[in-house]
Formats: sequence, structure tokens, C-alpha cells
Amino acid sequence: MSDHISSQQLNALVDGEMPRDQLALAEQHLAECAACTSQALAQSLLKAATKQAGLRYRPTDTLETRIGEIVRQHSRSRRGTAGSGLSSPAWLSLVGAAAAILLVASIGGMAMWNHHQSEADVASAQHAALETEMLDQHIATLAADSPPQVISSDRHTVKPWFQGKLPFSFNLPENLPADTKLEGADLTYIHGQPAALLLYSIGKHRVSVFVTQRTGGTPAPGPSDRAGFHVAGFNTRDLDAIAVSDVDPGRLSGLVGLIFQAQSGVTLPAK
Amino acid sequence: MPLLPSLYNLALWLSRNSTDAEDLVQETFLKALRGFAAFEPGSNFKAWIFRILRNTYLTSVTGLAATRTVALEDEVAGPDGAPDAAYPEAAIDRQTPEINLLLLSDRAALEAAMEKLPSPLLEVILLCDVEDMKYKEIATVLEIPIGTVMSRIARSRAALRKLLEHPVTRAKEVRA
Repeated sequence: MSDHISSQQLNALVDGEMPRDQLALAEQHLAECAACTSQALAQSLLKAATKQAGLRYRPTDTLETRIGEIVRQHSRSRRGTAGSGLSSPAWLSLVGAAAAILLVASIGGMAMWNHHQSEADVASAQHAALETEMLDQHIATLAADSPPQVISSDRHTVKPWFQGKLPFSFNLPENLPADTKLEGADLTYIHGQPAALLLYSIGKHRVSVFVTQRTGGTPAPGPSDRAGFHVAGFNTRDLDAIAVSDVDPGRLSGLVGLIFQAQSGVTLPAK
Repeated sequence: MPLLPSLYNLALWLSRNSTDAEDLVQETFLKALRGFAAFEPGSNFKAWIFRILRNTYLTSVTGLAATRTVALEDEVAGPDGAPDAAYPEAAIDRQTPEINLLLLSDRAALEAAMEKLPSPLLEVILLCDVEDMKYKEIATVLEIPIGTVMSRIARSRAALRKLLEHPVTRAKEVRA
């Protein structure tokens, strides 16, 4: 790349959106061009500053209460309709809507639900919403073809990279099976909360492992399938982890088990 | 309520009025509840609900006023999508990294600069930098091609840098 890097390319670079082939050329150019390196640094500084300045407003407690009441009323009215004997697909979808918003919103209205839904159902639906978001991110990672923020197969490089970025810490397994490799990691957000996205490969299959701070008391779901992808997870006292991949479920569970073992030193119980 | 702070933050940046922002978020939740059947399971829920918020904003009084500004801003950019003369994408930054750092360390100045951005440039930078959305997700929320997302991000950052360097003169250019 002899020409200077364009403004759009610099932005793609700092936003982690530059395709892998262009990235190699850009890095080669940056190594030789002080002007473009300065531009890239300036864009990076601006992005970081904008992120901080942009987080400016927080909703009032009054608004949270008002939204919560709207969701509760909606849920209540749907149940009332159900009680009148209507059972159309539209009604079912509306109940689904109320349920989903309740789950996404995670508000206190959940208690009302518990009169009609078992805790297990609610926990299952919560996990389904969570898994959907993680599946989205896994697919986006596959499609983006951009390198992770930290590229390393060394756990002693990847783990410290998260220092100061996450309000929790975790361990990575030292010994992996022969064809399993740690490729790197990204900082990501799940339901607005910071999370570690660990990127592994098993053979030619990519695996995304999302590690978040444990916020609820629900147990990790057993292995499941979503849109052809396999999902497996675990939780410890402080962490929740969910792995997504199209690799063989047994091998995915094996990797998840190793990561669990790295946290607690004990083997993940079979589900 | 994890998404509420994000939705409210964007709503208030766009509407610039706390009452309007609260109404906007409330309307967004109502529409999401009513229209959840249209949400495709497995697709991106965050992008979906942000799109509802943004469309709700565009049809609000403040949003309609901003839409008129959008039209003017696009005219400035040229019908063929040529770079806005006020914010050339390939503007050469004559500032050193040290000076940039000093400019950016003034959070109040940066917030003031962001307030001066036209809505199309403000929303794209908030979704990208604050919400950490990928270009594809931003394209979904704003219902524009990814190329336009990239172009707007470049123009938005160029505008911010110019505003930080020359806050008074650039603010006048934005309003022109």
C-alpha cells in the first residue's frame, strides 16, 4: 500500500471493521508512514473520548418505574384476554412479546409472572434470550472477518489484556486438545454488560465463548441447539459462560469443561 | 433493565429534551410490545428495538425538525455523495497526537462539539462508539447501506475534530 490510508479505512481500522486482507496492507503501511500512524492514533483517541462523553444521560427512577408498569399492564391484559377463551396465534405472539420484553427489561414485574409461570420456565426463557444475543455476536464475528482485539494463543497474554476492562476476572485452561487453539479475544457487551469473548478454534470450526459476571441465581442450561449451532455453558459462583459453535457438540462440551475446570479446579458435572 | 439506559441516552442526545426523551423511550417500549410478532427470533434484538426508537424519533416533532436539517446536510454533501466540504473525509490532521490528546481530554468541549453535530452524524457516532455496534448493526438501525454508515462515521469524526479545533467558527458552519 503506497498511497496513504483513507479516512474511511482509518475508521474501519479503529472500529475493528477492516477486512483481514486490507488489514495486513494497512499494518504494513502504518509501519512505514508516520503521518498515517498519527492519524490512526488520533482516530483511536477520538473514539475512546467519544465513548466516554457519549455516555451522558441516565434514565430517572420515575421513568424506569413507568416503563415497568407499562410492561406489567401489557402482560396482565394479555393474560386477561387469554382467560376469556381466545387462543389465536396472534394472542400467543403478543404474550410472547410481553414475555420477551419482560425478560429483556428484567424488571420487577417478573414476580407477577411467577404466579403463572414456573421459575424454571422463566429461567429457560431468559437463557434463550441470552443465547440468541450471543449467537448473533458469534455469527457477526464469523462474518466480519476482522481480527480480534487481542490476537494470541497464549493465555498469559489474553487474560491480562482484560485487566481494567472487566469488573471480574477468570482463568483460561493451560492444556488444550491437539486441534484446539485459543485464537484471541474481544471485549464485548451482553445485555449492556461487559463480557469477555474468547475465540477458540477446534479444527476448522470457530468457537465463541462468552464470559460474564454472574448476576442471577439460575443454573446454566444444558447443551442445546440454536439455528444449527450448538450451545453449551456453565456457571460458577461469580461467572456465567456460554459457548457457541457449529463444531461437534461433544467437542464443544469438552472445551467448556476445560474452561470450567480452570475456574474451579474440578470437573464439570455431566448434564 | 439493561437496554433502558442505552435507549434513553440516545433518545436524549437526539431530542435534546428530557421530557421528549422519556416520551420517546416510553413509545418505543409500547411499540416493541405491540409489534413483537414482527421480531424474527434469532435476529438482533438490540438493533431491532433501537430501530424502533429511531423511527419513533423521526416521526416526533423534534425528529421532523431534524429531518429538515438532514435534507440540508445531504444537499451540502452533494447528490452524488461527494464529501461535505465542511467535513472532508480525507482532511489531513495537522495536529500532533499530543495536541489531540489535550483537546480530547476536555470532556465538556467534546460534549459541546457533539451537541453541535447534525442528527445523522450524531446518531451514527453514538451507535458506533457508545453502543459498540458493528457497521452491519448500525446499517440495520438506520436503514442505510453499510457504505453510507462508513461515510457518515468518517464525516462525523472529521466534524468533531474540526469543532474541537475551532469551536466557534465550525459551529456556525454546521448551522449554515
